Amino acid sequence: MSDRRALLARLAPLLLIGVLSVALLPDTGTGLRLPSADILPASEMRAALDRLDEDATVLVGFDPDLGTYAEIRPTVRALVADLLGRGATLAFVSLTPEGRALAIAELGRLERLAVGPGAVVDLGFLPGAEAALVRLARGIGPVPADALVAGLPRETTLSGAAMAVVVGGNDLGARSWVEQVAPRADDLEIVAVAPTVLLPELQPYIASGQLAALLATPRDGAAYRESLDLGALDPVTDPRPGAPPLAILVGVLVAIGVLGEAVGARAAGALRAQRTREVT
Amino acid sequence: MRRPTIPALVVVVGLLLLADLLLVNSALAEVAGLAVDAAILVAAGAALAGVGALAIRRGGDVWRRRGDPIGAGLVLGGMAAVLIAGLRPGAAGAADPAVGWLVSALLIPIGATLFGLLFVTTLLAARRSMALRSREATVLVSAALVVLVLLLPLGGAAGAWLSGVASWALEVPIGAVFRGMLIGVAILSAAFAARTILGVGTTDE
Repeated sequence: MSDRRALLARLAPLLLIGVLSVALLPDTGTGLRLPSADILPASEMRAALDRLDEDATVLVGFDPDLGTYAEIRPTVRALVADLLGRGATLAFVSLTPEGRALAIAELGRLERLAVGPGAVVDLGFLPGAEAALVRLARGIGPVPADALVAGLPRETTLSGAAMAVVVGGNDLGARSWVEQVAPRADDLEIVAVAPTVLLPELQPYIASGQLAALLATPRDGAAYRESLDLGALDPVTDPRPGAPPLAILVGVLVAIGVLGEAVGARAAGALRAQRTREVT
Repeated sequence: MRRPTIPALVVVVGLLLLADLLLVNSALAEVAGLAVDAAILVAAGAALAGVGALAIRRGGDVWRRRGDPIGAGLVLGGMAAVLIAGLRPGAAGAADPAVGWLVSALLIPIGATLFGLLFVTTLLAARRSMALRSREATVLVSAALVVLVLLLPLGGAAGAWLSGVASWALEVPIGAVFRGMLIGVAILSAAFAARTILGVGTTDE
C-alpha cells in the first residue's frame, strides 16, 4: 500500500464521522426536500382512511424486518397515530418472528406513551405464514370463526374489521395478504406500508385496486406525514421523523461517487484497450 | 417405488381448500379449517425443531470447542435470556417487560447496526464485481447509478422532474419486467401444483 493510500485509510473513519456529523444537522433549507412532489400515494392513503367509520376495527399485519424497518418506521408510527386519532381500534398480529419482535417494541412504546388505552389489541404471533393468513382470513370472511386468536378479547370479533394495514417486510407482506386474505374477505380494504425494495412487486396490486393505498418510498412516506395534523397524538410519531434530507443527499452522493468511479474506471479501461488494439 | 400417499393427501387438501374458497358452506369451512390448523401445527413444530437443532448444534460447538465457541456461547446465552425472561414464574410471556427490554434495547439495535453496515458492504461488493469486468455487473451498477440519481431529495422544479421520471421508470420499464416475472412465476406455480396434484413427476417417484 502506498503512503497516500495508507494515510487515506487512516483518515477514513475520521472523514466518515465528519460527513455524518454534517449530514445529521437539521435541514438548513438549502433547496432540499424529502416529501415527494407526487402526492398521489399519500392522497390515496388519506382517502382510504377517510372511508373508515369512527369506531372501526383495523387489523394491523405487522411483519417488517430488521433490515428495512428503519426506512418505514416514521411512516408506520405516523399511520398508527392517524388511525388512533380517527378513533379506530388497532388489532396487531404478526406472522413472522422478526415482525413479532418489532411489534413487541412498538406496542411497548405505545404503552409507555399511554396512548389510546383499550384502542390497541395485541393478537400476538401466529405461526404458519400463509396458512396462518388463511386462518386469519376465516375470522374476517363471511363465516367468522370463534376464538380465532388467543389474544383476541371475547367481546371483540374480527368479522367487523373494515381495513387491514399491512406493514410488510422481505419475508411476508402485502403480496401475501392480497393473495390469501383478499379473496376470502371481500369487504376488507387492504392498505400497506412497505420498504422501497418491494415497490415494483406491489405496484401492480395498486394498479388493479387490490391494494387501496401503498406508501413504499421514504419520499411518499414523508409526503403523507407532511399532510397530517395529529394534535395531541403527535408524540406517537417519530421524535426524529426520518433522516434530514441533507443526510440522505450525502449518502446518495457517496454511493453515486463510489459507483460512478467504478463504472468510469471500467469505461476508461475498455477505451484504453480499444486504442491499444487500434495502435497495434 | 411409487408411494401415492403424499400426492393423494395434497390432492385432497388442495381441492378442499379450493372448494372452501369458492363455496360458502359452514361444514366445508370447518373441515378446511382443520386442514389449515394442521398445517399451522406442522409449521410451529418445524420452528420448534429448528430452534432445538440450533441449540444442540451450538451446544456441541461449545462442548467440543470447535468452530466459533464464543459465538455459539452468545447464541445459547441469548436464547436462555429470552426463555428465562418469558417463561419464569409470574412472567407474562412475550408481553413481559423483560422480554420487551431484551428485544427493544438489544435485539433491534444490534440487528439495525448489522444491516446499517450493508451501505458500506454493498458499495464494496459493487466495486469488486466491477473489477471482475463482467458485463452483467456493469449493467447492474449502471442501473443502480441511474436509480440513485432519481432518488436525490431535491425540491423545486428539478425535484419534481426527478420524481416524475422515477414514477415513469417504475410504472413502465421496471413495472413491465416485474409484471412479466409475476405472471411467469404464477404460471410455473400453477403448472407445478397441477403436476403435484395429478401425481406427475413428483419427488416420490
